[in-house]
Amino acid sequence: MATPMRTVPVEDSVPKVGNELAVGEDLSFQRKWWVFERIVWTLFVLVVVLDVAGVFGRGPAANAHMHTPDGAMNVRYERIERFSTPSIMTIEFGRTAVRDGKIQLWVSDSIVKELGNQRIVPQPLSSITGDGGIYYTFPTTDSPDSVEFALQPSKPGVFHFSLRVQPNTATPGTGAASPAPEQLQARVVVMP
Amino acid sequence: MAACFRAAFGYAFLVLMVRVAGRRPGKQMTPFEFVLIFFIGGLTLTFMVADDRSLVNAFVQIITVALLHYSLVWLRRQSNNLARIIDGTPLVLLDNGEWRKDTLMGMRLQDDDVMAAAREQGLRSLDEIQYATLERNGEISIIRKAQA
Repeated sequence: MATPMRTVPVEDSVPKVGNELAVGEDLSFQRKWWVFERIVWTLFVLVVVLDVAGVFGRGPAANAHMHTPDGAMNVRYERIERFSTPSIMTIEFGRTAVRDGKIQLWVSDSIVKELGNQRIVPQPLSSITGDGGIYYTFPTTDSPDSVEFALQPSKPGVFHFSLRVQPNTATPGTGAASPAPEQLQARVVVMP
Repeated sequence: MAACFRAAFGYAFLVLMVRVAGRRPGKQMTPFEFVLIFFIGGLTLTFMVADDRSLVNAFVQIITVALLHYSLVWLRRQSNNLARIIDGTPLVLLDNGEWRKDTLMGMRLQDDDVMAAAREQGLRSLDEIQYATLERNGEISIIRKAQA
């Protein structure tokens, strides 16, 4: 024998309008919701304005610049990047960066790992790992130009990177004496 | 970020956007609202899918959205307050021949919208309407005046 369906008597519980039409209107809630909506719309406008300004990356506020006191390096990068989104870091070299027709640039590991370096233009003559980073060697004339790193961050977060040019041609790790290189450090926020 | 978190964030964000952007779906949907719904949906997909076009990603995300939707429906049944937040409350737009201006303005509706719903019921003018209510699903219900 089938179990009988449970039933309960109907209660007239829905609030009425004009004492005749059961609508269930809750105007006090709705007024609070309209206030909430105004706050949300204000926040939306703020988000769009901040985005246009580049606070979330890819805009004027995201562009950053740093250089060494001796003018060996002038770096333009984005201090706010976006996850998996390409960007370009440009390093302009001064004459003081050139030794024997070459520039030797050291970049920290984070450039390759967290910031996701995809390619370097122009291609370096050689690359050697060491000292927590990579040494790149670029042949150049007496009037060096710039090198571009195409970055594409592999994960969101806050990351630091360092750059320096070697002031002589000594091969890293050989123990040869060399003046202290000028090192640049920066922090990059990668938005999700 | 894990696929399920991206899906959960996308679902929650879409629910909020659709709730805040206006309650005029279904029969009241105009071409503007079609653009809104499809555009927001398409944009949400870009970060939900990201660079993972695998079958696993699609399965996990669909299951996540289904679970979230089921949970939301269950929670809505447990709490009247939550039900009001998610669905809103029915609102009277026209009460015994008088417009409720604040409600019309708050819901970004016009008398034309009410008249469009009235015509569907064969009414010829606004003065034949006793009550017009905006339902939680976005449709406008019309109660016609009793014949004298």
